[in-house]
Amino acid sequence: MTDKDFDLSRRSFIDRVLMATAGAGMAAAAPWASAAVGAAPVAKGDRVRLGVIGTGDRGRGLIQNIAKTRNCTVAAICDNFELHLAKGRALVDASTRAFTDHRAMLDAGGLDAVVIATPLDLHKQQSFDAFDAGLHVWCEKAMARTIDDCGAMVKKSQDSGKVLQIGHQRMFKPTYLNAVRRAKEGEIGSLTQIRASWHRQSSWRRPVPAGATDRQINWRLYRDSSAGLMTELATHQIQVSNLFFDAVPTRVMGSGSICFWKDGREVYDHVALIYEYAGGRKLIYTSLLNNARYGCEEQIQGSKGTIEPELGRIYKELPPKELALLRMQADVASGKKRAVPIGGATWFAELPVTTPGEPLGWGEYDETMLQFEGFGEAVRTGKPLPGLLSQAYHASVASLLGEQAMDSGQILAWPTSLVAI
Amino acid sequence: MADVVRFASMGTRVELHRFGAGDDDALTAAQRAIEAVDDALTIHRPSATTALNERLMAGQGAAIDDALLFEALVTIEELHASTLGLFDPAADRRFASAGWSAIAFDRNSARIEVSMPVALDFGGFGKGFALDRACAVLREKGVVSACLSAGESSIAVVGEHPLGGGWPFAIAHPLRPDEILVEIELTDESVSISSTVGAGANAPERAAMIRPTDASIVSAPRCTVAVDRLGAHAEAMSTALLVADEDQAERLLNGDRTRRFLFDFPRGAAILDQSARMSFND
Ligand SMILES: NC(=O)c1ccc[n+]([C@@H]2O[C@H](COP(=O)([O-])OP(=O)(O)OC[C@H]3O[C@@H](n4cnc5c(N)ncnc54)[C@H](O)[C@@H]3O)[C@@H](O)[C@H]2O)c1
Repeated sequence: MTDKDFDLSRRSFIDRVLMATAGAGMAAAAPWASAAVGAAPVAKGDRVRLGVIGTGDRGRGLIQNIAKTRNCTVAAICDNFELHLAKGRALVDASTRAFTDHRAMLDAGGLDAVVIATPLDLHKQQSFDAFDAGLHVWCEKAMARTIDDCGAMVKKSQDSGKVLQIGHQRMFKPTYLNAVRRAKEGEIGSLTQIRASWHRQSSWRRPVPAGATDRQINWRLYRDSSAGLMTELATHQIQVSNLFFDAVPTRVMGSGSICFWKDGREVYDHVALIYEYAGGRKLIYTSLLNNARYGCEEQIQGSKGTIEPELGRIYKELPPKELALLRMQADVASGKKRAVPIGGATWFAELPVTTPGEPLGWGEYDETMLQFEGFGEAVRTGKPLPGLLSQAYHASVASLLGEQAMDSGQILAWPTSLVAI
Repeated sequence: MADVVRFASMGTRVELHRFGAGDDDALTAAQRAIEAVDDALTIHRPSATTALNERLMAGQGAAIDDALLFEALVTIEELHASTLGLFDPAADRRFASAGWSAIAFDRNSARIEVSMPVALDFGGFGKGFALDRACAVLREKGVVSACLSAGESSIAVVGEHPLGGGWPFAIAHPLRPDEILVEIELTDESVSISSTVGAGANAPERAAMIRPTDASIVSAPRCTVAVDRLGAHAEAMSTALLVADEDQAERLLNGDRTRRFLFDFPRGAAILDQSARMSFND
């Protein structure tokens, strides 16, 4: 893509976010998005200086997105695994400093904020260290390994007066924002159920390169460092559910098992949960690793229609055509008049609707870039993007509460002791 | 040239087919008219009717502020009288004494008083009433030929068939779908079909038929058909015929033998049909 093409698609992306977030309802529902698109471009020398901790898969993706922003720059990178650090180096200027210890990077100074893309169990300590160094923090989802640690991160950012932003890119994605707007405007009626799934056909196990341990590379599969499907995948979709329902769950129940990949992993490869929301509304969630037929989707089910944001489609609850009346139409068109049969065995089986629906509109572009422009603006003004942190906090809490519900076999109520945002 | 709108309303699938003349927005306006009736008369989500029912169930009187609900009540009062009291949207299987007779509706003050707790369920009447309003809108918008259906049990036509003459309909035997019970022709009229058996009887929008005289559920296999200028009237008549005893049925049918029909079926047939449906639905 040329620079001019990039500017054009950037412009149209931003326009779409603006269109999706226009209107009073949306300003209240997704205030962070309109704030992020308003970020002012900044001259190269004045950009927000980020130190990226963790140049693994995600960290490297983030580095590339940061490079596209108009207000942030990667000033340092850090990874304690040399192979990954080298891959990170390949993406930045030769002058960008590289560290194997994040504390050394913080001590070296010259940063405004850190970006944390390390295994889940490290997020809390690394963000604490950054706050203590007087920096702002952008951290990948999920927030932390325990509900208490999630709250501690929120509290620490509040106490230090520094921005904490969590990576939930769907909250900046035009299709999602547009879907929320259309749902708010009542297009699919009152929402009573969301069915979400993330189904994959993969062991989720990564090959371990020389010089690394299995636990280091496959941290997702072990309980010390991850809640598995819950923190890695479900967080995104629970956040979407909270956003559409405009609420947090009241209770959660669930069942988890290591059902297929009996390879020494400690986290469930099969989870099924019900999150209840006030008024009897539900999120029904499943995630598994041995069948990809239904993939990743959230089905937002209302009394008048369904939105499937990952597919970018909206379906109206349109009744199937009355065959007898269809035939009447054809008869009239061909100048024939015959009796229209009514009643009888025209009751229809309750099969899924297979109509293709309509596109929700608006294709792909990298919303991760917008997350960082929003973060850059937040760091420059010292004001977090409104509404964003509570979304992320509640999504992380809900995913960890789901893990506890599955582990204990109990129905668990939403915690009452969360940090207020 | 024909155009069609299809949508879900009144707990069923609604189709409006317009042929030839009329304003561009005629079908949309007719759809809105039906949705407005649904909004006012539904008991499946908060509405003017559920608000009224809350008071009536508490044994309290209420003022009727909603214009559509008021008009529906006026019509119902007339229809209750003209069907020997057999059409009764306040009938309740729990209390034989509940029913329209427990209601005093004063049109002039637009107030309802009750002598005991009752609740209104407009059921099929609502569909006929809604189709009547949609037909009126279509006529206002210059439509001269249209066919409207609210599920398979409620059909209304505006004007003549696009090829001239009446609109022919063949009403199928509810248990033996290949057989025709009766053929009718409609011009500016509505038809309502009620049945205690067959697929339609179990359709989700269908409440069990309650005989107002003793609050029992009518279970004898029967299908009734009523044609009228107005859909609301056709609905009330087909309902009344369904719950009528032999003598009442004779009296009602005698009112118009060419537009009211009643078919009783042997009991065994219905039982067979029910079991056949079980596997289909579960
Ligand atoms: N938002 C999203 O869509 C998305 C997608 C993928 C991953 N993620 C998140 O990104 C984070 C990282 O995931 P990943 O897939 O990149 O994992 P990864 O294992 O590929 O990368 C993690 C990196 O952190 C490094 N690391 C470990 N300990 C460190 C330490 N003490 N100091 C410095 N570096 C250290 C590892 O060497 C590795 O390079 C996780 O929180 C994950 O949930 C988010």
